[in-house]
This record gives sequence, structure tokens and C-alpha cells, in this order.
Amino acid sequence: MSHSSSYKISLLESPKRLDFEEADMALASSMSFEIDGKGGDSGVGQGFWTVKEEALLGLVKGKEGHLCHVMAVGWIWAREFGSQAAIEPCTSDGLTVDGIASSKWTILEESESDWKSHAAAIAQSIQVIKRRLQWKKLMVRLDLLSAELNKPDLWNDPVHAGKISREHGSLMGKMKEVKAFEQELLEHIDMIKLAREEDDTELESESMKALLRMRRDSKDKELEALLAGENDSCSCYIEVQAGAGGTESMDWAAMVMQMYKTWAQRRGYGVTVVDEMPGEIAGIKRATIKVDGEYAFGYAKAEVGVHRLVRISPFDSGKRRHTSFAAVAVIPILGDGSSRVQINESDLRIERFRAGGAGGQHVNTTESAVRIVHIPTGVTATCQNERSQHQNKASAMAVLQSRLDQLEMARQAQMNSQHTQSLTEISWGNQIRTYVLHPYRLVKDLRTNYEVSDPDSVLEGDLDSFILSYLSASLDKGEGEQ
Amino acid sequence: MLKLRSSGLSCGVCANFHIPIPRCYMNSITTSSIDVKPRVPLYLRPPSFSASLSELTKWHKWAKNLASSVGSSFINLDNGPDSTLLRRELNWLLQDLIELQHRSVILSRLESGNNENPDVSVALRAPLEEMYCVWRQRIEKRRPFQYVVGCEHWRDLVLSVQEGVLIPRPETEVIIDLVEGVALNNAPELAQGFWADLGTGSGAIAIATARALATHAHGDACGRVIATDLSPVAVAVATSNVQRYGLQDVIEVRKGSWFEPLKDVQGKLAGVLSNPPYIPSGDISGLQAEVGQHEPILALDGGISGTNDLLHLIGGVASMLKPGGFFAFETNGEKQCKFLVEYIENEKPGSFRDMNIVSDFAGIQRFVMGFRR
Repeated sequence: MSHSSSYKISLLESPKRLDFEEADMALASSMSFEIDGKGGDSGVGQGFWTVKEEALLGLVKGKEGHLCHVMAVGWIWAREFGSQAAIEPCTSDGLTVDGIASSKWTILEESESDWKSHAAAIAQSIQVIKRRLQWKKLMVRLDLLSAELNKPDLWNDPVHAGKISREHGSLMGKMKEVKAFEQELLEHIDMIKLAREEDDTELESESMKALLRMRRDSKDKELEALLAGENDSCSCYIEVQAGAGGTESMDWAAMVMQMYKTWAQRRGYGVTVVDEMPGEIAGIKRATIKVDGEYAFGYAKAEVGVHRLVRISPFDSGKRRHTSFAAVAVIPILGDGSSRVQINESDLRIERFRAGGAGGQHVNTTESAVRIVHIPTGVTATCQNERSQHQNKASAMAVLQSRLDQLEMARQAQMNSQHTQSLTEISWGNQIRTYVLHPYRLVKDLRTNYEVSDPDSVLEGDLDSFILSYLSASLDKGEGEQ
Repeated sequence: MLKLRSSGLSCGVCANFHIPIPRCYMNSITTSSIDVKPRVPLYLRPPSFSASLSELTKWHKWAKNLASSVGSSFINLDNGPDSTLLRRELNWLLQDLIELQHRSVILSRLESGNNENPDVSVALRAPLEEMYCVWRQRIEKRRPFQYVVGCEHWRDLVLSVQEGVLIPRPETEVIIDLVEGVALNNAPELAQGFWADLGTGSGAIAIATARALATHAHGDACGRVIATDLSPVAVAVATSNVQRYGLQDVIEVRKGSWFEPLKDVQGKLAGVLSNPPYIPSGDISGLQAEVGQHEPILALDGGISGTNDLLHLIGGVASMLKPGGFFAFETNGEKQCKFLVEYIENEKPGSFRDMNIVSDFAGIQRFVMGFRR
């Protein structure tokens, strides 16, 4: 094979099995054929799976640094590429997704049956999705992970290997989904063109319907892409701590906690109070709730920071205006599959919380709170809301585990994007949102400048718009910096 | 071979499902009757009552205020519950009262003070009048919360309790940790033997032990537990708890004092466990109202120094256990623990090995344990 020539193999004609020695490189498209990995010199020693995944990436290197190009209509091209190249699928007449997005086709209402309008809207969505997934970073990372997976000594360290292969699988899944979505768009466009050439109105209307369906799906996918972080799908703990200022700020902390409880319940998440230290007169000094459900962490992480309230305090007989603060921390509850910190039983000190007197038969109390101290790190966890000590201990252990996991994530700085601060790390200067009840009424996010003039609805848990605007703003910003 | 007798007390649970009369039943148990009918805990009663959301809200507000009015006065009086704890108990009472299906919705409505649809009907497991009555008893008479709802959450169990039966304490949960972590870990074969829980009360130790034996016994023969108690109420309540956990083939409840009903297993037991009365008689009058005025003195008063029953148990346990068998007893604290260990060393030299004093989570030396040589 000469370096600069391009050659075509029609899949319709070729057998479903390619030989490496013949083709001199690993090729595959996602579904239509498979490759037998007997070409030992092109990094296919890891077997069929690796080859297939790499081929999908469009980054399969041949013997002499060639990259292959797998196309939708079933033509295989080989060209000479530089060090980095991404696959660029296109329609039979060479239209690409980026091409469509930059073509300035007018985007009309969904109800208008215009394929160009649908296609342009979908292409735009795909660009948003790619931006949110941090596409370029994702590709580089995938490349890196694939190289790592190909190392023959990878499984000498099974924990590391497991981690690499999980991350690879997860990123690959996201990448494939977008690719498939792009492919689908181009196929429908081809279909519409074909239908028009052949005057097949039934096919045309079917393809049009498919495009409309894609257009609707693409909005959901945009939202999903906001929650593509490694731990976003996890359940989480939300912790609220009152700032300085006594009863007024403890009352504010309780209002913030109530806001999250209703928000979570409205989203259909399970909410349980794990730990709560009530204020002397009103409110809470601090509290921890567990929010159970898919993407709880992905959404809630947008709330980390200090929340500020301005109002006439009901606790001030002089009816003066007060400013109070409450800090919010969010801790992901990692799934069993991920690498969690190993806790040594001997590193723990378990103590009865608020126990006094002789105990045992002398005392009848429903208070069976325990505090668990992890001696090496000093990290503690308390639970008092369960009805037996055994269950309190189990809940506190779960909180401790997540706190230690979070600490470990913070330590591994490269996972920064996934790290949310713990309560102790949050500085009171780090204000993210202000809630003004007096002299005017406004809730304003200081990070995005998103604002709402109805504080009551926000405090009743209407938080999604704040969360989504923050998530999209932070991701869009992140991509721009690349 | 030993055969488990049927306890003859199977009547309890079902017969008692008909208690729709809105009344409070404090001290309604007659201890003279052998055929005691165990009460059905609130959370297991059918949701055959109802109240409008506004009525429920009104009760909840009233109950909350009553709880708040306590402040820290009980703490100062006799180390009783404060308002925070009482409000938490109120939430648990609601949990038990409201039918599971709509519970979370109703609870969050009550918490947030949302006033929509006040006429919506909420299914309850007891009439609201009874709730007024029992919550007043909780606060004014200091009736233990566990008697109010008729159950105690202990380890991973929910056990029925009622007047006449000691409410199992959180400290006692550690005995099961000792059974699992020490006894069955060091001597797995004990999981197949006979165990005894003396003075079983609600049956807590016996039930948790039976479940521990089942998890540790590999394959064929799983161990069995004999629970004894002198009190007919305790025997009835323990029996119904055993049945509720489906352990009637594994646990046998026998009526009688300490080792008396165990003559047939003398020298054969793999383990003997007990939380006997250990409070010195002189301390009884100063006890927290929930304990002193409501719980059975039979389960609390251990004589002048509090060690009457513990000494009786230690006197008999060597001859009850088979070689290698395990024992663990709960005590009043450091003083009793040290006294008992010393007593065993002097009076029963060479009978036991690996004797140990174990602390509870509050750091109080609470348990004495060891293995029969």
C-alpha cells in the first residue's frame, strides 16, 4: 500500500472478515463487520476487542503511521494523517455535521417540515453536546487510556487496571453514542436525498419523521451531556452549615436544608436526614441529608458554596435587616464498582454520642447516635436519626466512607473536575448565590448572573434553572479555555 | 437428641388485631394471667382509621408544641429526654402511624407546613384521639416511647415491646458483636450448637443470636437458641417476636428462672448469654422516670450490690457450658466487671480461658466474657 493513495473497499462486495496482513491495518466499523486480529505487529495482540474499539475511534494506526477512515456508506479510506486526526463522517455528497452547523441554514419551528431546518438544529445540538462533553479532551483521554490498555503488564496492578478499563468503557460509551447520533443524522439526510431522486414520498416522510424525532432527542442529550462527569450519576450527601450570626443564620441554614429536601423530593429522589444538630432556639447548626437517586450528585454539585440571605430577621425585635450565611457541601456516594478508600477497622474509634451517666439498664433513651472517628485523618461522621444504634453506626460508616473517598479524590489533583469541596474547605468568602427578601425580592447566582425575582419559589425547591444554568455555563467556559 | 417443644402461645398476634377502641392502654397488662396476649405494635396494625390532613396537622402542631414545652427540664430532673429528642420521637411516631404508601408525601407536607388540600384523608393505623392520649402519656407521664409505639428498633430488628417487658438497650447490641466477632470467629463450630439467652425479655438477644448462627453455620446443621424468662409477659412477647421473624423452629422460649428450665441441656450448651438485672437496689428510686416508673423492676433490680443474679449466673454457667463454650454477660459497669472477673478467678480457678472485659460505645466497661475450658 502506498502512503498517499486512497483506496476503497466496498463492504457489499468484500467478505465480512478482513485480514491484517492483507489490509495492513486494523479496520472496523461499529456494526457491520469484524476483524481477525492476526497481524501481530499492529498492536492487535490484545485481541479483537481492542482493535474494534480503536477502529471505532477512527484512530487506528497502520504499520507506517497511517490512519484509517471508516465511512457511513461503507467505503474505507486510508490517508496519511498527522499525529492527531478525528474521523469525519459525511453524507454521500460530502456533507459533514460541522459543515451543516456552519452552513447557516435557517432553523425553523419544529412543526415546519423542512429537513434542512431539522438537520441544522440537530447539528447545532451535536456541537453543544460535544462542547459539554469536552470532546477534544475526551478524545485525547481516550487515546491515552487505549494506549494504557494495550500495555501487556497492565493487569499486574488489577486495581489500576480496573479503574482504567472502567473509565475507558465509560468514555467510549459516550463517544459511541455521539458518533452514532451523527451517523444517524447523515444517514437520514442521505435517505431524504435518495427518496427525492427516486420520488419515493413514503420514504421521504419517514425520514423526515425520523429527523424530527432526533431533533427532540437532541435536547435531552444536551441535558444529559451536562451530567457526564465520572461521579455525576451517583447519589450524594448534601451538608448545610450555619455561618456566624446565631439564631438568624441557624434559621437560614434550616431554610436552605428545607429547600434541598423539597427540591430532591420533587425530582423523585429519596431523602433521609442522616445527621442534624439543631440550634438552641431555632434552625440548625449543621445537618446532613442523603439524596438517593440517579444523577443526584451531578445536579447537587452545582450548589456547593456559600449561600447568603438578606432579610428583616424575625428574631430581631428591632426589626432590622440582617445578612446571614450558610455553607453547602456535596459529597458523592461512589458506587461499589469504583475504587473506594479501604478503611481499616483498627483505624476507627466508635463512640456513643451525647452519652451520659451510668448507661445500660439505668437509661431508657431513643437517642442512640454514634460518632465514628477515622484516627489517621481525623475525619468524623455522626448519625443519630436511625432508630437503632446498629443502624446509626451503619449510616455513619457510609458517611465516613464517602468523606474519605472525597478526601482521596481531592488528593488526586488530576481528578479535579470531579472534586467538590467539603464543608471545612469552603471559605466563607466563596459566595455563590444571594437571596434578598428585603428591601426588594431577588435570588441571584453570582457565578452565572442568573436571577429570579420570586425567592419563595426558589426556597420551595425550584432550583433546577439555577443548577442547569450553572452547569452549562461552567462546561461551556471550560471548553473555551482549551 | 433434644427436641424443641412448641410453646403453646401461638394465639397472640392474630387474635389481637381487633383493637379499634380509641383508648390508651397503659398498664393494661395483667401479669397474673399465664395466657398473656402480646400487643400488636402500632406499625403492624392495619391502616383502618383515617383523619383529614388538617386534623392530622393540628395534632402534629399540638404534639410538637408539647414536646417543645419540655425544653431541657427532664434532663435537669433525671437525665430524661429533651425537646429535640422528643420531636425526633414524634417523627418516628408519625412514621409508624401513617400507612406506608403515602407516608413520605404526608410527612413532607407536615414538615413544610404546606396547606393545600386540607380535606384530603390520610389512612392511619390508630385513631387520632388515641394519638392525643398516648403523646400526652409520653410527655406528662414519661411513658417510654417504645411502649407508646409498641416496638423498639434494635440492631436490624424491630421488636415488639410492652409494659412488663424490658426495652432492649443499645448497649446490649454489642453482645451480638461479641457472639459474631469473638465466639463464632474463634470457634466456628459453636454456630452448630445450642445457645441460651437467660432472662430474654423481648427476645432480642435470642433472635439476633439465632440469625447470627444461621449466617455463620455453613451448610447443614444450624445452631439453636433456648430463651428463658420468669415473666409470663416476657415469655408471650418473646414468643410472638420469634414467630414474627419466622424463627419458631430455631428458638424455643421457656418459662422459668435462669438455668431452671435448662436441666436437659446441662453441660451441652455452646453459648450462654444474658442481660440480667444488675442495678443496685438503692439506685432504683433515683432512676429516670421512663425506667423507674414504667419498666419491670424484675428486669432491673439486682439486689443490694446489683450482682445477685450475675453471681447466680456465674455460679451455674461452668456446668451448663460444654468445653469450649462461650459466655457473655452484661453488667452495670467497671466495678461489677472487675468484681466478677476476680470472683471467677478465685472461686472457679481453671474453669475458663480468654476471659475479658469489653466496653460499650460510651467507653463504659460493660461486658464480661470468656470460654469454658
